Amino acid sequence: MIRLFHVYKSFGSKNPALIDISLTVPKGEFVFVTGPSGAGKTTLLKIIFCAEKPTSGHALVDGRNLTRIKDGELSSLRRRIGVVFQDFKLLPRRTVFENVALSLEVMGVPPSRIRKKVHQTLRYLGLADKEGYYPPQLSGGEQQRIAIARAIVNNPLILLADEPTGNLDYDLTMEIMALLKEIHTRGTTVVVATHSQELLKGTRRRIIALHKGRMV
Amino acid sequence: MKIIFFRYFVRQAMRNMVENRLVHLIGLGTMVIAFLMFDAFILIFVNLNSWTQEQGRSLTMSIYFKGEPERAVIENIKKELLQYPVSITDFISKDDALKSLRKQLGEKAGLLDGLGENPLPASLEIILSRDVSGDSLPYELKTRLERIHGIDEVQYSQEWVEKFQAIMGAVKIIGLVFGGLLFLAALFIITNTVKLTIYSRKDEIEILKLVGATNRFVKIPFLIEGSIQGFLGGSVALIVLFLVYVAIITKVDLSIGFASLDIIFLSPQFILLLLLMSSIIGFIGSTVSLGRFFRI
Ligand SMILES: Nc1ncnc2c1ncn2[C@@H]1O[C@H](COP(=O)(O)OP(=O)(O)OP(=O)(O)O)[C@@H](O)[C@H]1O
Ligand SMILES: [Mg+2]
Repeated sequence: MIRLFHVYKSFGSKNPALIDISLTVPKGEFVFVTGPSGAGKTTLLKIIFCAEKPTSGHALVDGRNLTRIKDGELSSLRRRIGVVFQDFKLLPRRTVFENVALSLEVMGVPPSRIRKKVHQTLRYLGLADKEGYYPPQLSGGEQQRIAIARAIVNNPLILLADEPTGNLDYDLTMEIMALLKEIHTRGTTVVVATHSQELLKGTRRRIIALHKGRMV
Repeated sequence: MKIIFFRYFVRQAMRNMVENRLVHLIGLGTMVIAFLMFDAFILIFVNLNSWTQEQGRSLTMSIYFKGEPERAVIENIKKELLQYPVSITDFISKDDALKSLRKQLGEKAGLLDGLGENPLPASLEIILSRDVSGDSLPYELKTRLERIHGIDEVQYSQEWVEKFQAIMGAVKIIGLVFGGLLFLAALFIITNTVKLTIYSRKDEIEILKLVGATNRFVKIPFLIEGSIQGFLGGSVALIVLFLVYVAIITKVDLSIGFASLDIIFLSPQFILLLLLMSSIIGFIGSTVSLGRFFRI
């Protein structure tokens, strides 16, 4: 599903953010990407959903070579990848409903179906009563769950979650992890980036550890 | 295009306009001024043009004789004129001319008593019935008639109409340049208005792209927005122009000596054309600003 071959990524003259990353995530796997702050976790995810292009090397996602992808292909690929951004990237002047609906609107889903799917997803995440709120009116944890809702509302093939529990207390963290596992059992390939060791404790999942841009 | 998309696009365009209403209002104001100047120019031009054409359509020509012509000469001229699309009005003898002058002078007719001999020429008036604007026929006729023995001079009153039509030609070119400049001004205004709304939506555009929107999906609302703005600018300008027009024709008397100027408003076809044009300017303006934005 996801394959990287000798991917390098550098921003300007600084130390490269990613150095010689090669990895394969088969369809339906659940993997963690971990490492200290600045290790390159977010950059790795960005390469996968093509928000950044590798400086050298190749990235293949769902059979597409991301180094030479056209706009039309890119958008159809991104519709199959749900992303929970570290900084959420919610639109402050749109309601919770509208934010979540965005993923479906770009696909041209009929409004009645959008309504149904959004309600269902928000209920699933325990946010049914927040539908009409604007993101700035919500707590960090609530915003995080809305970001998750937007990422999963269109049943993506791949879910990339960047610190999806960064703002949550222990109970909510466990709840979200259970949720991600459930999404995984439905057949979604899940990649979770986190620096939290606690989250990884006792897991039998594969862990890709990064340190200063290298896989260790 | 799917109807669902279309609804989304229009809603999005409306939202852009409402959320950036100040920018849009300022843009609209400036654009109305540009369109208003353009429309006013068109209105004046169309009127002048139709008026000169009107004048050129029927043309009167006066044939002045040396002394009192003989009947045979007049018959000869009439025969000569048969091959032309003209109608001939009555012959006016020297005496007739003097009589009508006396009538015109009224009380002051006594002035004429001092004259020994009648100085007024006998004349014949003919009216060319077909549209002779931009035609060489009046001139041809004039030279031909002037060669006839007994004819002193041939004048056609509207020689100046032709000169005027030449001036209209120049006006057309000036109008083209002027209109082109106003067109560019309107384009510039829309480009910048839409650019501002694009910048105010930068984050949204980025997020839309990240959740899988195509470039087209992102762009179309802005194109609709620009077209609506152009259309609104064009409509408001036409409404203002119409109000000014009504005020002028009702309040100001425009009968200037020789002819009364009937100003007519732009025809419905012209109005539609202008509205279409302003919408197209809006569309092009937003295309330009989108082009700039998406290149970055
Ligand atoms: N757009 C960018 N321009 C310049 N440098 C960048 C950019 N994005 C990332 N970097 C650099 O790349 C390195 C890796 O950043 P990245 O965000 O991938 O780290 P991370 O592992 O996600 O860290 P954190 O746990 O704090 O989120 C950092 O040194 C960062 O400064
Ligand atoms: Mg990060």
